[in-house]
Amino acid sequence: VPADRKRVRGPEESQCPLLFLPPAAQTAEPREPRAGRGNGEVRPLFARCGLVSQAKGSSYLEAGNTKILCSVYGPREPERRDEAGVRSGRLLCDLRLAPFSCGKRGAWIQGSGERDLSLALSESLHPAVCLHRYPRAQIEVNVMVLENDGSVLAHAVTCASMALADAGIEMYDVVLGSALRQDGGASLVDPDLAEERGNWLAGYEENRGGVTLSLLPNLNQVSGLHADGELRADTLSAAVRTCMESCHKLYPVVQQAILRAVKRKAPPPEK
Amino acid sequence: MSPMKLCVPGERLCSTEDCIPGAGTYLRHGYIFASLAGYVLRRNEGEELPVISVVRETEAQLLPDVGAIVTCKVTSINPRFAKVHILYVGSTPLKDRFRGTIRKEDVRATEKDKVETYKSFRPGDIVLAKVISLGDVQSNYLLTTAENELGVVVAHSEAGAQMVPISWCEMQCPRTHNKEFRKVARVQPEYLQA
Amino acid sequence: MAAGFKTAEPLEYHRSFLKENCRPDGRELGEFRPTTLNIGSIGTADGSAMVKIGNTTVICGIKAELSAPPSDAPDKGYIVPNVDLPPLCSSRFRPGPPGEQAQAASQFIADVIDGSKIIKKEDLCIEKSKLCWVLYCDIMCLDYDGNVLDACIITLLAALKNTQIPKVTINKETDLAEVDIEHKRHLQINKHPVSSSFAVFDDTVLIVDPTAEEESLATSVITAVVDEDDQLCAFHKPGGSSLSAEKLQDCITRSVTRHREVGKLIDKVLESTKASK
Repeated sequence: VPADRKRVRGPEESQCPLLFLPPAAQTAEPREPRAGRGNGEVRPLFARCGLVSQAKGSSYLEAGNTKILCSVYGPREPERRDEAGVRSGRLLCDLRLAPFSCGKRGAWIQGSGERDLSLALSESLHPAVCLHRYPRAQIEVNVMVLENDGSVLAHAVTCASMALADAGIEMYDVVLGSALRQDGGASLVDPDLAEERGNWLAGYEENRGGVTLSLLPNLNQVSGLHADGELRADTLSAAVRTCMESCHKLYPVVQQAILRAVKRKAPPPEK
Repeated sequence: MSPMKLCVPGERLCSTEDCIPGAGTYLRHGYIFASLAGYVLRRNEGEELPVISVVRETEAQLLPDVGAIVTCKVTSINPRFAKVHILYVGSTPLKDRFRGTIRKEDVRATEKDKVETYKSFRPGDIVLAKVISLGDVQSNYLLTTAENELGVVVAHSEAGAQMVPISWCEMQCPRTHNKEFRKVARVQPEYLQA
Repeated sequence: MAAGFKTAEPLEYHRSFLKENCRPDGRELGEFRPTTLNIGSIGTADGSAMVKIGNTTVICGIKAELSAPPSDAPDKGYIVPNVDLPPLCSSRFRPGPPGEQAQAASQFIADVIDGSKIIKKEDLCIEKSKLCWVLYCDIMCLDYDGNVLDACIITLLAALKNTQIPKVTINKETDLAEVDIEHKRHLQINKHPVSSSFAVFDDTVLIVDPTAEEESLATSVITAVVDEDDQLCAFHKPGGSSLSAEKLQDCITRSVTRHREVGKLIDKVLESTKASK
């Protein structure tokens, strides 16, 4: 691997101090399950639009300790030209996890995990954006996860669609994301990081996995569905229904945040 | 007066039997939906039904379209064409710059074969032009100045002073009184204030 | 057509304000933008801070990791600062490896850390030649409206003051490190460098805390870093128009005043962060 000359480099190797905990501290992790929230409850959502002055539109979202910032640029001149780009616009999504956003420090270079998340984000937003209205142009969606405490993709989708609405990009609907962790019989909505990882020490059990769903709430259409792990077909369809319900719960908060930014940007026009 | 109704994308505004869809809306299954976050505006435009549209602070999402009058800044010239940055569409500033090209044959309407680009524009000139095509895969927006009202509106002389138009093809420097060639636009009243 | 003038002739537009001794955003020439600070908001970092200077927003997260000390300095630890200017913060930055500006900023911050000795690197050594701390200081711009260097240094300093590292001992029997997260300590902050940036217009007019637009139109930009003893720790003037000695002195005097204000701000926010816990 060639040395990274564009950054200040540290030692060749370094370890997270949590790896050196005495054995006793590693196993005993008495966590209060879900910090008092019911399995079907989402974490309280805090959402604001229009914080990044340089962007056409932006949004900031906090769900529990998960903190995400998104900015939208464009429509602007595309960097790459091809036949498809002339007829309709291009939506570029880039999701990054800040190096300090996870328990273990992340690398500067975008990892495969971040690339997968970027692609999933792009696929979930694509059906909602009226790209045919933006011929010869590209719209850039940049998402930065400042702190990762679970359900990152779901909240990134919600955050990005708020930023798109704030940027005045034409959309068929807003997009809301919701995640669910299935642990045997328990369906945990909007899981935090510890829940997302699952309790592997409890041993193997069937019906474990994660589901992330993106919904266009007004049209009641699903624009993205990502499931991993091992789920029974009936569990999966139940999970999809639960996710759709929790998406609808987010809608008022998202709507308020967008409208507040609209009002702040301009007074109502003269009739 | 009741406060104006606001909407976010995806909200159903009304049936097509009540209104005609305008800007910031789309049609689906006989209903009009909002495609923008903004204020819902109903306006009678002489038709049987009012036009419903969603408006925002600026038309920030405006892109240069065929037939639009644009204000641009010349960035480079060569014997065949001038390259420009499009700054405005109509009177709306663009947040991001789009590039355009004014080909030699689109500089003026008459004596096209005698046009010389460097006697028409210089880098840094502010030019009023009209979009004739969105271009193809390789090219940028194609623009024309082949109308009396189109052409150079602001230009600086070699001495650095802002020049005054003296004819449709010449401008004069107020400091050195040197004349320079330009494809000058017939100045329109709204530009005099600049 | 006032807006038209601004877009088409930005330099003339700015000059017309500077002639009247003010700036397009209503500030006087020597006025900094309102500066606000938020400390300790990132739970996954060992220390963090976010600063806003006007619109410019920069966040710093510090992660402490364990490593072997460098072979040429076996009694020292590492401080690894990196500045990231992601495409999120402005349309002028593209995705991919850090551009020139980010590289220069990272190097500048590294030089300030080394030059001013914010933290004695000896304090980061746990056992000579065996184990030491590495402080990864990742500084990220979230909104780029000029003067990121000042923001980077304030956020770095505040984040370092917020950082807590666990107690580490080496088990004599197994020769392995043991981390005790129940007992954490703050870092020993040795010096408090604060920077002030200036822009020069038309080779003569000096303005403080330039916005992104002012930076791009200026003929020169200057950053001066001073510490609490009014010592100059770094001075950065990457080319541009030349400047008289008096103007230079003026910059340093203003930096000393700015240091007092920022120092007070950091102390105040740290106090209120502690009080709320």
